[in-house]
Amino acid sequence: MTTEIHRIVYFSRNAIPGSEETIAAEIRQILESSRRNNTKADVTGALMFNAGCFAQVLEGPQSAVTRTFERIQRDPRHGEVLVLDYGAKSERAFANWSMSFVGRDLREKDLFGAISSETGFDASRLSAEVIFTTLHRLVVEEEKSAVG
Amino acid sequence: MLQILEPDLSQTVILEACDLLPGGFAIIERNGAVGYANSPFRSIFDMPDDPDLKLLLENVCGGDETLSSKLRRGERDFTVSCRGVSDGRTLVMVAETAVVTVPAAVERRDGLTGLPNRVVLNDQLTEALRGPANEAEFALLLLDLDRFKTVNDTLGHPIGDKLLCHVVDRIRSCVRDTDLIARLGGDEFAILQRSPKQPEAARALARRLVDLVGRTYIVDDHLLNIGVSIGIALPPADGADPDRLLKSADLALYRAKEEGRGRHRFFEQEMDARAQARRALELDLRRAFALRQFEVHYQPQMKLADRRVVGFEALARWRHPERGMISPAAFIPIAEEIGLISQIGEWVLQTACREAAGWPDDISIAVNLSPVQFSSPGLVTMVIAALRQSGLAPERLELEITESVLLQETAATLTILHQLRALGVRIAMDDFGTGYSSLGYLRSFPFDKVKIDQSFVREMPSDGDSNAIVRAIIGLGVSLGISTTAEGVETQEQLDRLRAEGCTDIQGYLLSRPIPASGVGDLLLQLHS
Ligand SMILES: Cc1cc2nc3c(=O)[nH]c(=O)nc-3n(C[C@H](O)[C@H](O)[C@H](O)COP(=O)(O)O)c2cc1C
Repeated sequence: MTTEIHRIVYFSRNAIPGSEETIAAEIRQILESSRRNNTKADVTGALMFNAGCFAQVLEGPQSAVTRTFERIQRDPRHGEVLVLDYGAKSERAFANWSMSFVGRDLREKDLFGAISSETGFDASRLSAEVIFTTLHRLVVEEEKSAVG
Repeated sequence: MLQILEPDLSQTVILEACDLLPGGFAIIERNGAVGYANSPFRSIFDMPDDPDLKLLLENVCGGDETLSSKLRRGERDFTVSCRGVSDGRTLVMVAETAVVTVPAAVERRDGLTGLPNRVVLNDQLTEALRGPANEAEFALLLLDLDRFKTVNDTLGHPIGDKLLCHVVDRIRSCVRDTDLIARLGGDEFAILQRSPKQPEAARALARRLVDLVGRTYIVDDHLLNIGVSIGIALPPADGADPDRLLKSADLALYRAKEEGRGRHRFFEQEMDARAQARRALELDLRRAFALRQFEVHYQPQMKLADRRVVGFEALARWRHPERGMISPAAFIPIAEEIGLISQIGEWVLQTACREAAGWPDDISIAVNLSPVQFSSPGLVTMVIAALRQSGLAPERLELEITESVLLQETAATLTILHQLRALGVRIAMDDFGTGYSSLGYLRSFPFDKVKIDQSFVREMPSDGDSNAIVRAIIGLGVSLGISTTAEGVETQEQLDRLRAEGCTDIQGYLLSRPIPASGVGDLLLQLHS
């Protein structure tokens, strides 16, 4: 029996104080936890860090997504969590990534193209659709370049 | 001495019986070795070298008297007692300390969340407040969930219950093991935070709670957003006994909600004074209504075109036996809150219609309706009754409503307004410009009149903004083809300006202050002479 896939897309504001290195270290730690826990929980997705904001897509069985999201919600390293989309989806978009990361190694400001240069990246003004497709595109591009 | 009477009773049988005893016992030899231990005893201690047992034998045993001591093993508590027996041996007895069971009548836990309830909170508060006052190192936080009722009402109790459990999980994740969380009612919780660093610790906890509880929840297929308001009281200043402390926290909570919810407030003495003054006023108000200490006063409205008085606005006055006249601004908000406004409003309407029925036929009467009256059923019936009893022609009655009326359930409100209009009654928009001032509200219903709030009229000659607002409202009236009444007109200069802008009617001290019904006849003569 295949369980229905649920997906959540949210954005939040970074609350990690300190220098860029501190933030980078914390994000590394978040990714480590994510990859370990998500693999176990059958959760996949992508995380983006850009201009002081996080955007994340989580997908998997409903209970696993709910539980993971609840844990993330309680994390003091971010705040003002704004859920942009939540619901059942026909299939996974990030099937191969326990938690793909987009951020450090890309030219930060260009992630969201024209939108970010016009507004100075205000993810709250982006729709779930835009965040989702952008993350998806970036992750796929990154994989291609890694392979090629 | 008891003899073993039955010679056939073998040692085996006696030992078998020993193993069946409810308590454990052992005989310790003079050299400290365990000579014999029955089965219950062996199940408690790891024979023969249990460190707890060793310690016990060293510290407790020896001598002829019975000595006892308490022992905790895992989750179980035991009483161990020792006494000397023949030949320098020691008898050690172990019995499980009975768990004190609470009588079933006193419920100490909340069934849904498993949290301790008010009974436990009271006990622990009493306990914590015992001892020297300066050692009461804790804070009491009262939490009330914002918008929880809406979730329950719209999605049902099963979803509401699940949400509550999530909320409790989050609250648990913010407090320490030594703190107590209690559920006091539907969506009300208390936290007894034990920390010497007050008020900083309470402030930090409250901030964390407001942030965390306010974050989105996923319950089944729903994304839910609620918030929490928190009131905090610190002993001993805010209360040296549980009741007083709870009351202080409750007053602080009330203030947090009043200030917009989703925030915390510490108790301040001034809140108590305010609450008491308010309670006194509340009592007075109820009494005043019962004793009919209210009066209706009337303020004339004049049409600028021909300088004739066209009507009066009915204004409720409260003649307080000690404090004299109290203005509506001071008591209407309280009357709204305690649910007395509909009755007061009905009485004012009846009185005004009855008194106006005796005035000349071309004089109308304007009566204010509170938003609360729109949400209680029977408003239209009440108006019909007032008209019938007084014999006043419906065309002479004007009902004034504020924009806030249109904020609530617009469809139902508009239906009521249309029903009133169908009776022949006129509807005026009161205090325009002070609230949301949405043109949409003015367009949503065919109002007969807009009233310009007195705050703009008063500032008009000096303040450019007020001038612009007044001009805009008058322009609006002209374009919608309805009359405009400026309130609070006090000087000839204001009147001249208003006339120049195209305002159609005025009301204010320049004509007359509000007067009792008995003075209306004379005032009309005077204004028309
Ligand atoms: C923006 C953000 C995204 C996160 N994403 C995940 C995630 O996808 N999976 C996960 O297990 N933890 C994630 N975390 C970390 C969790 O909040 C939490 O720290 C972690 O799950 C704890 O697990 P651990 O004890 O195994 O390290 C995220 C944290 C932040 C701030």
